[in-house]
Amino acid sequence: MNSQTAERPIEILIVDDNPGDVRLTAEALKDSKVQNRLHTAQDGMEAIAFLRRKGEYAHAPLPDLILLDLNMPRMNGSQLLAKVKEDSELKHIPVVILTGSREIDDIIKANNLHADCYVTKPIDLEQFNRAVKAIIRFLVNHRKTTNGGKVIGR
Amino acid sequence: MSQMLKTDQPIDKSEVMAREIKQSKELFRILFYRSPVGTYIIQNGHFQLVNRQLAYILGYEEDELIGKPSLSFVLAEDRDAVRENAIRMLKGGCSLGYEFRVVNKQAKIKWVMETVVPIHYRKKRATLGSLIDVTERKQMEERLKQITAELQHSNTELEQFAYVISHDLQEPLRMVSSYTQLLAKRYSAKLDNDADEFITYAVDGTKRMQSLLQDLLEYSRVGTRGKPFGLVNCERIVEQAMANLKIAIEECGASVSYDVLPTIMGDEGQLVRLFQNLIGNAIKFRQEEAPQVHISAKRMNNIITFSVKDNGIGIDPEHSQSIFEIFRRLHTREEYPGTGMGLAICKKIVERHGGHISVQSQPGQGSTFYFSVNTAGGEPA
Repeated sequence: MNSQTAERPIEILIVDDNPGDVRLTAEALKDSKVQNRLHTAQDGMEAIAFLRRKGEYAHAPLPDLILLDLNMPRMNGSQLLAKVKEDSELKHIPVVILTGSREIDDIIKANNLHADCYVTKPIDLEQFNRAVKAIIRFLVNHRKTTNGGKVIGR
Repeated sequence: MSQMLKTDQPIDKSEVMAREIKQSKELFRILFYRSPVGTYIIQNGHFQLVNRQLAYILGYEEDELIGKPSLSFVLAEDRDAVRENAIRMLKGGCSLGYEFRVVNKQAKIKWVMETVVPIHYRKKRATLGSLIDVTERKQMEERLKQITAELQHSNTELEQFAYVISHDLQEPLRMVSSYTQLLAKRYSAKLDNDADEFITYAVDGTKRMQSLLQDLLEYSRVGTRGKPFGLVNCERIVEQAMANLKIAIEECGASVSYDVLPTIMGDEGQLVRLFQNLIGNAIKFRQEEAPQVHISAKRMNNIITFSVKDNGIGIDPEHSQSIFEIFRRLHTREEYPGTGMGLAICKKIVERHGGHISVQSQPGQGSTFYFSVNTAGGEPA
């Protein structure tokens, strides 16, 4: 896995208003032994600013992966997902919905908005770690198939 | 008889007639004026004849009503409907139990029920009506309607409440659980045995609470998140339920069989859950021998009764009602895991399909669960 990503760490943007969840994801990523840099946005508005490099995010990298929660204030996950997938600059970035919601309606909606993957946050820590590792595997495979293993850069 | 007549006194015909007329007048007086039902004749829209009971209901003296337009006593909003009903009666010959409101002399509104028939009176067309005061019954009906609506409202609110708490409590619980596990993972070697034990209990508690919340959520969803009814093939439903239970079925070598099962109107997802819970229970509460489960169905008129029969540990009849209550468990968690929500969910699903669920069982003799669905009734409002 490391050989695939040796060029530079994976840039991950996590969009979640719950710092507890962000930290858990960070810990799980640490466990995954994959070099990564985790950026955080508390809601859709902040994420859009990050992705479009507005204001304080002028020098932000374009992420290789977006981990997106659904329930957030101001701009929620579905709204952000729609914006990302209709933006020609951003739509190639894989978006993984990482949410507490098991609502079938939410899953269908995310699928219709072209989310690349839907993962429910498991209650069990080990399951959560496995889920995060699976997401990283998904990303590595994704890069292999779309870019011959090279990092997607700007 | 004819011989006797000859020997009797000659009969005075006019005397007999006078007596008969007197009797018939008396009978009329009793039947009409003393009738406990308001009775009247209307011609050209005006009262021609009224009895005491009608006058009593309307709060007037009888002679105050004679010659008055009958519709003037009907509540203004109901007049059109009463007029239309009178026209229908003239066409159809009779009108039974038509209900409307009248205003009495004291300006009080009363509910009345009227039956009218077309007659001829003094060689002209007229209406014979009878009327009773149903105000009290109407008030009771209204009260009942109100109570039913309030109950429905509070039921919906309760379901919504259960849904919201079980849904929203999961998030903070996930935090407690995850971080306790993270503590255990990072520091278990650095702490003493007591700490490890405490952490184990904390993690165990959060996991149990999680399953309670998830089952409560599922329970509340039966009412609040049900799907519209469609045609459902029950054999396919049972197959799906068995597929969901594949691992459990294989692990204990259970055999599940079913007769020809009908296609019914219902919520497919919920019916899968219903069979899955019942078959799952049959497997879970098994004896030494491999579980055998058999499903069949019987139709009687609009009601189809399904049975799910097993050879498991059985249930004391004393518990045959309470097992369908929420969070009801008959065993310790060590004996049989679970939240005690499965059969409560079954009951709720069956009731949404217009049926009932029950069990027949003896300890050690296996159990048969029966549930019915009403194929005539659509989804309850």
